[in-house]
Amino acid sequence: MSGISIRAGAVVRTLAFIVVALALCGIVFELAGYSALLMLESVVEGAFLRTGGWAQSLRWALPLFITATGVAISFRCGFFNIGAQGQFYVGAICAAFVADVLGGAPAALVLPMTFLAGMAGGALWALWPGYLRLRSGTDEVITTLMGNFIAALALVYVTSGPLKDPSGTGQQAASPLLPAVYRISDSQGISPAIIGIAAAVALAMWVLVNRTPFGMLASLAGRNPTMVRFQGARLWTLGLSSFLISGGLAGLAGTIELLGPTGRIASGFLPGHGFTAVLIALVANLSVLATAVVSMFFGGLASAALYLPILAGLPAAAIDIFNASVALFITAKSGLLDRLLRAARLPT
Amino acid sequence: MTDADPPALHCRGIRVTYGEVTALADLEIAFARGAIHAVVGQNGAGKTTFARVAAGLVRPDAGSLAIDGHALRLGRVAGARAAGVELVHQSFALPPSFTVAEALEFGAGAGIGVYSRRRLLQRCRERLAALDLDVDPRRRIRDLPVEVQQGVEIARALVTDARLLILDEPTAVLPPAGIEALFERIRRLKRHGVTVILILHKLREVMAVADTISVLRGGRLVAGPVPCDQADERRIAELIVGQSAAGSVSADDARALVGAAPVRGAAARDTSASAALDSHESVLELADVSTAKDPEEPPLDRVSLLVRPGEIVGVAGVQGNGQRTLVQAIAGLAGITGGDIHLGGTRVSRLSPVSRRALGLRVIPFERNSEGLSLTSALWENWSVRELLQKPLFSFVDPSALRLRCDEALRTWGVRYASATQNAGALSGGNAQKVILAREIDEDARLIVAAQPARGLDIGATAFVWSALREAAGRGCGVLLISSDLDELFDISHRLVVMLSGRVVAEFVPPYDIGAVGRAMTGASM
Amino acid sequence: MTEFHEFMVAILRSGTPLVYVTMAGVIAQRAGVWHLGLEGVMIVGACATILGIVLTGSFAAAIVIACVLCVAASVLLWFVIEKLGANPIIAGLGLTGLGIGGTALAVQALFGSLAAVTAPFGVPRLGAAFGPYGALSIFVLMMPFVVWGMWVLLCRTRFGLRLAAAGEHPLAARSVGTDPARVRLIALAAGGVLCAIGGAELAAGGLTIFAQNMTAGRGFMSFAAVIFGAGHPIAAAFAAMFFSLVGVAGIRLQLLFGASIPHDVLLSLPYLATILGVWISGRMRGGAKAATEASELRDY
Repeated sequence: MSGISIRAGAVVRTLAFIVVALALCGIVFELAGYSALLMLESVVEGAFLRTGGWAQSLRWALPLFITATGVAISFRCGFFNIGAQGQFYVGAICAAFVADVLGGAPAALVLPMTFLAGMAGGALWALWPGYLRLRSGTDEVITTLMGNFIAALALVYVTSGPLKDPSGTGQQAASPLLPAVYRISDSQGISPAIIGIAAAVALAMWVLVNRTPFGMLASLAGRNPTMVRFQGARLWTLGLSSFLISGGLAGLAGTIELLGPTGRIASGFLPGHGFTAVLIALVANLSVLATAVVSMFFGGLASAALYLPILAGLPAAAIDIFNASVALFITAKSGLLDRLLRAARLPT
Repeated sequence: MTDADPPALHCRGIRVTYGEVTALADLEIAFARGAIHAVVGQNGAGKTTFARVAAGLVRPDAGSLAIDGHALRLGRVAGARAAGVELVHQSFALPPSFTVAEALEFGAGAGIGVYSRRRLLQRCRERLAALDLDVDPRRRIRDLPVEVQQGVEIARALVTDARLLILDEPTAVLPPAGIEALFERIRRLKRHGVTVILILHKLREVMAVADTISVLRGGRLVAGPVPCDQADERRIAELIVGQSAAGSVSADDARALVGAAPVRGAAARDTSASAALDSHESVLELADVSTAKDPEEPPLDRVSLLVRPGEIVGVAGVQGNGQRTLVQAIAGLAGITGGDIHLGGTRVSRLSPVSRRALGLRVIPFERNSEGLSLTSALWENWSVRELLQKPLFSFVDPSALRLRCDEALRTWGVRYASATQNAGALSGGNAQKVILAREIDEDARLIVAAQPARGLDIGATAFVWSALREAAGRGCGVLLISSDLDELFDISHRLVVMLSGRVVAEFVPPYDIGAVGRAMTGASM
Repeated sequence: MTEFHEFMVAILRSGTPLVYVTMAGVIAQRAGVWHLGLEGVMIVGACATILGIVLTGSFAAAIVIACVLCVAASVLLWFVIEKLGANPIIAGLGLTGLGIGGTALAVQALFGSLAAVTAPFGVPRLGAAFGPYGALSIFVLMMPFVVWGMWVLLCRTRFGLRLAAAGEHPLAARSVGTDPARVRLIALAAGGVLCAIGGAELAAGGLTIFAQNMTAGRGFMSFAAVIFGAGHPIAAAFAAMFFSLVGVAGIRLQLLFGASIPHDVLLSLPYLATILGVWISGRMRGGAKAATEASELRDY
């Protein structure tokens, strides 16, 4: 069997599991008394068909894409960094602090420093789980999950304490809105700057994964660490680098949210970002190019989530349920499905 | 025994296929009760599959089984055990964290089965005593030497009063003295009326213990069961090897491959550049090397070892006596606490594995499928790891060039594969090992550490590995061959050292004396 | 003295749900399943109990509903892992998301808003005979017996040995006629019941309220307790109690120090304790060497 048809098989498999997840969701919604068909319609309409739908989907897709490529790197290297959410938050917090401290300075100074701070913050929040994992064998699934909770609390603390918006009266604690000079997009969230950053990330990550010893060895180490260790690779270097890249990209996404569409940090903002990014990475089978396509799909869902209550009277949680069902099935291997596919295939 | 007695085990038309591979093809065989039956054949002949079918672990596609004339439901372990069939696996099937007592208990019956610790220990001691097995029931399986583990597994198989005991390659892990003790245990079981089927692949072991012999090849029965005293050893050896492989193998190799009378190793001495052997040059020198304590394997204890260019040095020893540590210490994966390692005159004790490889060190590791290859990665990725590691981590490489070169290397080594992008897991054991050889034996190789390079391979592939190592030595490489198969070591080593508890305890030159080597392996006085 | 009793009551109240869910994790772990769906199954238990009480007016009916739903969720996870060959970590996280989202949807569907749901009564209480501990639920009293029973089942029965064999060495289990997949089904289903009780205790053991996302990582903490306790029921139960002790102590500290320590820092103490716990257990089990182990779990 050639490589092409294996890849085609993988795509078919992935699509099939998304359909299974959709069907499962449909059943749940019907049981809960909502119309599954209406939901599907309004998702498609909310994401793509309505005016500006594509742009809105892209607004959600780009940060997701950046975080997801990072997640994919750590997964490739065999580390289940589930902590993208926390890294995203810590990155945004650090960026917000720097933007706050440097407030008033020219944008040409503030923006690079803010980006640097955001990426460093995200990387830091991935550094300690990575260090504990590689030095002491501490399970990174638990540490990164716990890191998410701690980062969420830290965000609450920061937005209701040091960076509290004095004029804010709403229920949600938030930092002050950044002045327009420091913003890289308006609240619509689409600007050449953001698209450029995403494109640069895509290119850099594609080269890193497919054209450097690091990328190839990290992937091999993810599939069989013993073998690359026997060949003399330092898992320490490979692993820690992938944790840092992964966290740094999540931090970058956090910074983009801060400087771009959201314009501030707020407690509990974009709560499903990290988990969705993990999903995107898995659905895309950890490939950079596929991640771009899949991000668009999940970005569309995220954008549609805002319209569901309006269009279908459905809670936004409906999208969470769909995402979760995808997670439940996405790593499924074959077995039943392969048998079904084989049975369905016409004799040649 | 009369003809009216139903056989202890009767297989009719058993067929097992895994995907496109036929493991057993309409196997017809019957074993009489109360005897010791040997089933021989090369790796891949279907022996293990046969054992698993009989034990109910594998459900055949077709055929039927009868125990003492009663038909057995296929593919049901519980049914087979109820009929008195028990299987002892080649690579033991006892959870390593269990204590001996727990290992004997967990298969002792269905139901919840509440026990108290005291009663469990008492019951276990009784069982062990009845089998004359001297081991503390509170010890954990993973802490036991292999021969004791095997003893416990046999005891585990006998707790339910097995009447037909199948042992899959029980001698593969044992030193010569351990093999004799095992055979004594088996003879005693026979006296107690247990029918024993031994899956073996060494003819002299068969002749020492079995009453009958049967030969499998390519999933078919090609001879037997015939009484051992009427069997012609030469004829049996031919049947095992088969027509295809027979021509390409030398007489000594053929004897080593089927484990007939042991090769003395005289031939090996004059096959390759013996002039080089007298030189004082070395490709590998270990001087008083010691390593840190490790829970899994004894550390090296002042090991000194010399490998000269063109020399094949064998390392014999019972599994778990520091051979793994030796490989890791040479490869740079185990920290050394004393002594020095030199590769071709360069002191490498403090060098990283990658720098050691740059000096010409190559390793064929013990575990082909975990340490040697990533089965879920493409062949070209597996093949190019060594090169990738010699480059800076963040530099540019061209995968298509690597793929082309991989194709070339794999073709040179005669690997049968479809495409360099296919996963290594899709290859047979022999082909997978050739991929490792293609990676590890190149022009720049100076020292090849080969750990169990022929384990699990069929005769053709084994002969191929041996000739590859000999050729490498012929080109001036040093080869350190670690094996638990004395026939293999005797046949191709120019020199042999024996490891025991992390030390090198003896050194032999051809002609080898299997008795003396065996005694050295167990630490008996010489 | 009353101070001490209050402290103990608080620890027992916050620790009991954790211990039940930890037991579910222990039995799954021993059978060879890394159960990261605990959080999801637990929240289903919590939600089903409160909604069950509100809808049927009977605690018994509510707990039965909770058990049925939690077992169903666990069996779904088993099916996906065992029959579809999915990666247990990702599938478990998916189940968790499904539980959190599904319970939110259920509340929205039934009540038209996502506000917290309050039930008129909760788990039966111990009563005045227990003095200062009378306000605790019967599940708290049951807890030590459940832990002990779990210990007997897992460490002192042949069934427990076969379960452990199925987890540690499936071929060994198969060789004695035990189907590892079936053993895992039993383990996960039993875990479903335990999670239902844990969720019920969380939602209806003290306050009788269900709020969106109310488990707040307790399921993951339980999973960490399983790792900390190395799969031993009693050790894991102590680990779970330790995590809740840290949480309660944090709240007490705030009472002592007032506003000088930020509230959110104290709230994060249990999470920090959890990290500390898995770190210690990682170090105890071979440290960096373990970094290359368990790779088959990762190779999905």
